[in-house]
Amino acid sequence: MSLDLGFWTLQALNALQLSMLLFLLSIGLTVIFGLMHFVNLAHGALYALGAYFAASAAAVGGYWAGFFLAPVAVAGVGVLLYSGLIQRMRKSGPMAQVLVTFGLIFALLDITRIVWGDLALGLEVPDLLAGRVALLGVEYPAYRLFIIALGLAIFGALAFVLSRTQIGAMIRAGVDNDAMAACLGINVERLFFIVFCVGCALAGLAGAVAAPLLSVTPDMGLQILIPTLIVIVIGGLGSLKGAIAGSLIFGFVQTFGAVLAPQLASVLIYALLAAVLVIRPVGLFPAKG
Amino acid sequence: MKRALLAALGLATGFAMPATAQDIKVGLLLPFSGVYAALGNDIEAGFTTALEQFGSETPATFEIVREDTEVKPPVALAKAKKLILQDKVDVISGIVSSGVLGAVRDMVHGAGVPLIVANAGNDEATGEACSPYITRMSFSNGQVNRPMGKWMHDQGIRKVYTLAPDYAAGRQMIDGFVQTFTAAGGEIVGQEFTPFQKTQDFGPYMAQAKSSGAEAVFVFYAGGEAISFVKQYDSFGLKAELPLYGSGFLTSSLYVNAEGPAAEGVITALHYVPTLDNPANAQFVEAFKAKTGRVPSEFAVHGYDAGRALIEAVKAGATDRESLANALRQVSFDGPRGALSIDPATNNIVQPIYVYETIAGTDGLTQKVLAQLPAEADPVNGCEMAAPVSN
Amino acid sequence: MFRHTPLRYGALVLLASAALFQAFTAEYFGLEILTEIVILAMLVIALDMVAGFGGMVSLCHGALLGVGAYGYAILSTKLGLTPVVAMAGAVAITGAVAWVIGAICARSHGIYFIMATLAFGQMGYSYVFEAPLFGGDDGLGGIARLDLSLIGLDLNDGRSFALFSLGVLAAIYGVAVLILRSGLGRSLSGVMHNEQRMRALGLTVWRVKADVFGLSGLISGLAGVMAAQHVMFVSPGLLSWTVSGEALVVVILGGLGTLVGPLLGAAVFVLLKHEVGALTSYWHLVVGILLIAVVMSRANGIFGWIEARFGARIERRAADAVRDIDPREVKTDA
Repeated sequence: MSLDLGFWTLQALNALQLSMLLFLLSIGLTVIFGLMHFVNLAHGALYALGAYFAASAAAVGGYWAGFFLAPVAVAGVGVLLYSGLIQRMRKSGPMAQVLVTFGLIFALLDITRIVWGDLALGLEVPDLLAGRVALLGVEYPAYRLFIIALGLAIFGALAFVLSRTQIGAMIRAGVDNDAMAACLGINVERLFFIVFCVGCALAGLAGAVAAPLLSVTPDMGLQILIPTLIVIVIGGLGSLKGAIAGSLIFGFVQTFGAVLAPQLASVLIYALLAAVLVIRPVGLFPAKG
Repeated sequence: MKRALLAALGLATGFAMPATAQDIKVGLLLPFSGVYAALGNDIEAGFTTALEQFGSETPATFEIVREDTEVKPPVALAKAKKLILQDKVDVISGIVSSGVLGAVRDMVHGAGVPLIVANAGNDEATGEACSPYITRMSFSNGQVNRPMGKWMHDQGIRKVYTLAPDYAAGRQMIDGFVQTFTAAGGEIVGQEFTPFQKTQDFGPYMAQAKSSGAEAVFVFYAGGEAISFVKQYDSFGLKAELPLYGSGFLTSSLYVNAEGPAAEGVITALHYVPTLDNPANAQFVEAFKAKTGRVPSEFAVHGYDAGRALIEAVKAGATDRESLANALRQVSFDGPRGALSIDPATNNIVQPIYVYETIAGTDGLTQKVLAQLPAEADPVNGCEMAAPVSN
Repeated sequence: MFRHTPLRYGALVLLASAALFQAFTAEYFGLEILTEIVILAMLVIALDMVAGFGGMVSLCHGALLGVGAYGYAILSTKLGLTPVVAMAGAVAITGAVAWVIGAICARSHGIYFIMATLAFGQMGYSYVFEAPLFGGDDGLGGIARLDLSLIGLDLNDGRSFALFSLGVLAAIYGVAVLILRSGLGRSLSGVMHNEQRMRALGLTVWRVKADVFGLSGLISGLAGVMAAQHVMFVSPGLLSWTVSGEALVVVILGGLGTLVGPLLGAAVFVLLKHEVGALTSYWHLVVGILLIAVVMSRANGIFGWIEARFGARIERRAADAVRDIDPREVKTDA
């Protein structure tokens, strides 16, 4: 292990990139929970679907076809899920929701196997983003920088929407107190629907973006689920600030833990989660203090 | 009601007609669902291809019973018990995961049923935990990697950084390489074992490898992790200054195309690649392609050679469990991998290892064989068995 | 608080006779399935205790089973203790671990509690996977079964082991009923219905939760020991969160909070898995759809549905004028 600055810069960029990827996934999940009080364990499966849609689209139209089509396709799946399932389960307790979405995970796992087969698929980075960029004294892959930039852009866009637009205000009102918001004349049902679909679209986008970096396999949804859940629980449910904070914490702990203490790294993140749950169960920046 | 049906079924199979001397019942114990289904399907396809091609060399008929292990040791054990005690198979073949092999080993040994291992590579299965009933037609973790240590040293490489997932197979693979590399005079400048199936971003480890002062990197990864690793290695632009070597599972023909151009130039060692140039392989590749529409992987050839081994054993006169177990320990033939035989001291296969480079071909990525390293029997490693009775 | 109704007694008798019939007539694979059902039933009783009667939905019970299994494996193979001592030790260790988890998580509720237990379960899984002592991914083999030759039982025989497991399950069921009917069980019921009120009454709520979780851990540990003896092999997969998830599925499928329902759920789940698995390699899809259907139907699982449809009728017929009725059993809108 060296004390060379370039090494640490590299690792910091790695941590940032991992954080942004998790942010794309967790923001959808946390706002869905914050607004609808609905735990969607199948979020990871939607991410996997996004990756598969992107791989199929890219085989025909190149990377960018996948990049734009995957979120739309997954949002479409979200529409189906919402009208068929979620709407009815919204008022049920957390256990029923956990179980229904658990069942969804199982079902979607086999559906991806049936439609796309068991073999792993690959997706190539677009030529525009292939290669490396010299940055802060290191050569860093352009595609990873793209992920960082995309994550920050989405964060910025969502922050703007949530704080400066009317629909953002309505969402925040709904998160604070949906019954009261409905009394004020806000169409809370429609809001939930929009939020759910946008959440699904973001999960699909995360899948499409992650696909060239990782591999597209049937169990990728299961693998990303636990990190995503950890992120939103540490960060705090329902808020944008919580999602970005949780993602950054996870990304940096995971990356630097792997470098400094690899044997402990996997236990470390769970210990951190347990600590947060015990000391501050609602997370660091929950939507409702 | 269901239970009564099950009970009745059980009784019925118990009274089923015993197999005649020329009917061999084979149990295929493989994962057919879940993440490893692709491997299970490939092995099965290879096995049935072998039975189709060589079945005519003996008057015996073969009946196959498939059972899904789900790569879960308790499930696999229950299915193994079913195959042995209820279906009364004469021989079992399959087993993808070393964990599953560990679970069924005692049962198979105790019941005296021959098992032809068609993948699981843990060194102990033909070492301390060896059994006269367990014959391995696939590979052992050390066997695939030991030749590479010496070969890389012969190429002039002196300092290597290793990476592998942190589980038994990962450690055994790297140990095999490290043993011979350091014995030849090389130096391991750093080693890292990444959390198994939990690491998706290898960036941190690659950065470490880069700053370690190594001349080359030797890794073992398989499946999804291999795809991620190879692509990420390329994206960091490390291949030029820090060439990537590894165990052939890194660029297995089963999924190398998912790695794309990132895999080009990676040099690995494995006991089989589909581009091997010998008549047996040409025949095998053609038959496999016709059957499944894809090029065979090393997993397919495990199944193929397992089937062939069974047929050779039957040709030598074996008819029941004991004689099959005995005959299987003595098979040798020329297969797609070259000249193969079983070393009766460990019951592990003895086979040549091929060093190959992944290059772009006309129809996706293909493998260019750089060297064929001589076949070596595994060290005995704690295995104590009586010699087989000659055929 | 748990009460036996005529319907529940009837179901128990039915299940017991079916199990005994199977144990005495089935061939080897049938016995394997029976033992698998019985061991799963032990785990889901433990889970129903905390989830159905305590409102604490746990995703770490699979890990607790794993702790029991590995505890037995290490104590008997690596430390060379006799099976009886190793069994007792493993069960005690699991109970202690569960007590600690219960105590730490006592302040969390709802989804946070689920997440907390998930975190602990995964910690256990990661630790066992990576510690070389536990054999890592390849697992530990050579585990011996209990030696009951003193009373003439050879547990290495499939049938004897199945019957032994049934006996253990019956004992566990009895213990669970005793716990749920005791003062602790009543306190638990109070905590589930209104925690604040119980605290106001002076109850140390976290201790009640921890105690029940610990007792549930003892049962899970015993299930783990039986699992280790059954397969005579342990691997880290036992501690994976998907095992806990499957246990939860079984409890829901059978009927949360009925104690008898999960027994039925275990049988249905295992048989379904095997039947569907024999037909197609896509049985995850079938189980997933079934689970969604069961949960969305608002019935409390199979047994809950039976109780709702028929239980009230039978109850009324057998009821005494003086007996106070548990509101849960009269509800028909589940």
